[in-house]
Amino acid sequence: MDKAIIVDHLVKNFEVAIREPGIGGAVKSLFSPKKKTVHALRGISFTIQTGELVGFIGPNGAGKTTTLKTLSGLLYPTSGFVEVLDYDPWERKSEFLKQISYVAGQKNQLWWDLPAIETFELNRAIYEIPDRDYEENLNELIELLDLGKILKTQVRKLSLGQRMRMELTAALHHKPKVLFLDEPTIGLDLIAQQKMRDFIYEYNKKYNATILLTSHNMDDLTNLARRVIVINEGRILFDGVLEELAGRFAKEKIIKITLSSEDGIERIKDIGKVKKMAFPEVVLSVPRAATAVAAGEILQNFPVSDLTIEEVPIEEIIRKVFRGEKR
Amino acid sequence: MKKYLSIFNISLSQEFAYKMNFVMWRVRNVLHVVIAYYLWTTVFADPGRTVFGYDQAKILTYVFGTIIIRAVIFSARSVDVPQEISEGSLTNYLVRPMGYFKYWFTRDASSKFLNFAFSIAEFGILAAIFRPPLFFQTNILYLLAFLASIIIANYLIFVIRFIVTSVTFWIPELAWGGQFLFMVIVTEFLSGSIFPLDIFPATWQTIFYYTPFPYLIFFPLQVYLGKIPFPQVLSGIAISVVWSFALSIILRSLWNKGLKSYEAIGR
Repeated sequence: MDKAIIVDHLVKNFEVAIREPGIGGAVKSLFSPKKKTVHALRGISFTIQTGELVGFIGPNGAGKTTTLKTLSGLLYPTSGFVEVLDYDPWERKSEFLKQISYVAGQKNQLWWDLPAIETFELNRAIYEIPDRDYEENLNELIELLDLGKILKTQVRKLSLGQRMRMELTAALHHKPKVLFLDEPTIGLDLIAQQKMRDFIYEYNKKYNATILLTSHNMDDLTNLARRVIVINEGRILFDGVLEELAGRFAKEKIIKITLSSEDGIERIKDIGKVKKMAFPEVVLSVPRAATAVAAGEILQNFPVSDLTIEEVPIEEIIRKVFRGEKR
Repeated sequence: MKKYLSIFNISLSQEFAYKMNFVMWRVRNVLHVVIAYYLWTTVFADPGRTVFGYDQAKILTYVFGTIIIRAVIFSARSVDVPQEISEGSLTNYLVRPMGYFKYWFTRDASSKFLNFAFSIAEFGILAAIFRPPLFFQTNILYLLAFLASIIIANYLIFVIRFIVTSVTFWIPELAWGGQFLFMVIVTEFLSGSIFPLDIFPATWQTIFYYTPFPYLIFFPLQVYLGKIPFPQVLSGIAISVVWSFALSIILRSLWNKGLKSYEAIGR
């Protein structure tokens, strides 16, 4: 498989002006600007193969969006190497831009006062989509995203969920090979989120498109991305299969027990850390290495009707990772 | 080319989405002319009088001419660009395969087209109501020079506007205020759209002629009225062309610098 995206030791610093308030401060900063350097990316490296769907996780300000923006040619790297589909994104060549799409949850490209179909027509011209493909792609997207009835409604009158689906249609109309999605499910209700995820999954499978998405929403990642890149303070903390994240960062496993009698329930505290105790259910967390021993002990000594061993929930692991409790 | 024709079309439909806005903007322009009309008819109450080299017909042609010229030169949609930069929606354009300046030039053109059509109608109505004596230029050379100066003026205003807009990259809060201060006060005043620049002392006028501003409104109208000798017409066109090139270079370097520092943090 060939590489769709190569990032090598990418550094991005922002010069942020510090300014006194008011118009006086503005004028002063024009002549003697005071600046502070913010290190958004401190040398990150990764490669992504064609057709991969990769999730970026990180708290606010971690550098996720900066990475996506650099990859789509919006930001100029301070140093390091970036290549997308063999192009240097910053040059923003037409042939490059025709093969990518960048969708940010809070930004819209649709013309606010006009029906969405007008924007699609405009994009037909801008992306030089051949007539036959235009109809075909549009019909397909309309059907997949269930947009038939609202195509001619003014964009301002659409609900957020409807608008996001329209945005996605506008972004995918030219069948991009690489897709950058920044918080695609932000602000959507649960059903709309699920629809959006299903669609992203479909698109990835059907066109073998390379997709990079950022999200705060764990469901987006657990349902969509097999590979995740965890980023914090401009550094990559983890890059690999989602399930491995647990193995790498969680020191413990979770044992869930259902008891058939309350007898001697207190003694269970000696086996592991109690996370929840509400008869008949008990949840314990035990060191990884001792999981098997602990489970055996429980089965032998307590009236167990059911027992399961689970990984620590991914949300919890990630929360820990970000709090700096590493390894 | 088809790209930009589509942009032209969608931009026109967008203008119609704000019918009331558009009508109010036109009303403002008409009022502007009506006020100037009353002012100058008072000054020229005696039809034989000439002031600053204008007789009654020429000054009224100047006043009525500004309605059309202003519609063509000052109408623009690119006034929205500073806001797009400061709130970050510039992003939408940068990731699509099209020229940003060409895009806005096309959108401005659609706005100019619409305003031009309306201004012609307004001109007709106002002329029918006030029946001012008007001056018609018949010299083909002057008419051609007039046309050339209008085209240059359109280019100049576009470049000037985007240079002012570029400041937004560094001072986002100044987005709208800067435009207003510069475009409305400096440009309208120095372009001669409020009153003809030849009411100023001669030395001032000489200085004005070396700035790009008179070439927006004042100079084209002077050419139309045949108020300047032809060699001076040519030198005026030459100066405005030099300004066009110089300002284009400035704009390009400012803009490229701006793009590199675009989108600081948090978006």
